[in-house]
Amino acid sequence: MWALGREFPIDLIHTYRGLRGKDIISARDLSREDLETIFRLADYYEKSPGSFKNLLKGSTVALLFIEPSTRTFHSFEAAARILGCEVISIRDPSVSSIAKGESLHDTIKMIESYGASAIILRHPSRGASLYASEVSSAPVINAGDGSREHPTQAILDLYTIYRKRGSIDGVRIGFLGDLRFSRTVPSLSYALALYKDIEILYIAPQALQVRREVEVYLEEKGVRYRKISDPTEIRRVLGEIDVLYVTRLQKERFPDPSDYERLRGSYTVTPEILVLAKQGLGIMHPLPRVDELSPELDSTPNAWYFDQARWGLNTRVALLSLVLG
Amino acid sequence: MDEHLLVRKIDMGTVIDHIPPWKADSVLRLIDLENIRRSDISLVILHNVPSRKYGRKDIIKIYKHHISHEETDIICLVYPTATVNYITDWKVEKYKPKIPERIVGRIRCPEISCITNNPREPIKPRYRVLASIKALQCEYCDTLIEFDRIAELVPQRKAV
Repeated sequence: MWALGREFPIDLIHTYRGLRGKDIISARDLSREDLETIFRLADYYEKSPGSFKNLLKGSTVALLFIEPSTRTFHSFEAAARILGCEVISIRDPSVSSIAKGESLHDTIKMIESYGASAIILRHPSRGASLYASEVSSAPVINAGDGSREHPTQAILDLYTIYRKRGSIDGVRIGFLGDLRFSRTVPSLSYALALYKDIEILYIAPQALQVRREVEVYLEEKGVRYRKISDPTEIRRVLGEIDVLYVTRLQKERFPDPSDYERLRGSYTVTPEILVLAKQGLGIMHPLPRVDELSPELDSTPNAWYFDQARWGLNTRVALLSLVLG
Repeated sequence: MDEHLLVRKIDMGTVIDHIPPWKADSVLRLIDLENIRRSDISLVILHNVPSRKYGRKDIIKIYKHHISHEETDIICLVYPTATVNYITDWKVEKYKPKIPERIVGRIRCPEISCITNNPREPIKPRYRVLASIKALQCEYCDTLIEFDRIAELVPQRKAV
């Protein structure tokens, strides 16, 4: 009987226990099975959104966003409401006790006392989510902790690759832009390490190259990667990759504003690059973009970034239902 | 000048030898001093004494107290030339340090935006030791710290 039941993806919410009650702090916390279960539910959400309605009625999700956010905040909020959860949100730290100097420790304790079933945290400090998970008995989902990680973005990024290509195994991906201060690049790199025959190219000026800790992880996992900082080589490698993942300069994380000004506008992706690219190259971006991605690309089939943003809702509905189901 | 002319041998306690010159204060910051501030304990620091092996060195002698193996492991990780002997009834036990798997507290994370550097949070830094690449990794922010940089990250402590 149960074998028949498993044919309906919605049953995964009750039968899959890999994510239930789990903190999602790093993309390294996820297994391939976790990701594939999320993808199945995210697919099902698209086919049958009504099946998810009020599934988590009686749960309370707290959104604690101590840093600006548009897509992540709203997609988590929408996902929680679709699932029938009560939502507590602290969005503007200037009007909360945080502005009076309240610690994250005390804020988490307070939110927990309001009966939060899960806490979704965005915070400017690296490691804030791990710390919050040690303070909280409710699961904590990292929605971005400074420049460290953004694991739920990695989930929707991988989902985009899976939807567009049909498979993640064998993908050759180039990350272009500010890789040093990016939190999406480490998370997606860690998650890609779960797949077979992956190759990653980190394309950035030396000053913005990927952080050493990401390299160490990939080396440990045996993932092939290269760092490319020579502008002449960039044009050549465009023909080798299936996906180009572009990030903006993280202005807010540059310790020295003059470095930001110097590097600003140092890379822009325009439709001209498509001549050099592999056919079917997918262009991704976690958004918001500034001037690194030309709007002229938007109407090309290579622009995956709006679907990518849209699928943030599917994947977050799936994730919340599996963590709280 | 022979160190023995400065300080007598001890029958019970810990001798931390071959510390790089003028680094004994930093070594003390790696020891839980609260634990040894007992009235019967004395502590002597020798700075910049001659060393056949290294030219100059510091020595710390702690009378009537054995520092923990964990403390010794961390001292030897930060200063690989250091040696630690435990003395009991004049007998000397040379301790062979192990590379610890984890270090809690004692070392400040160099990443300014790490949550452990927020003075409002009651939190101790925590590191996993990645022996294969000779580095620590902050468990909170993932920042890597090469072994030879650890010494400069031991926080200053008020005088005892």
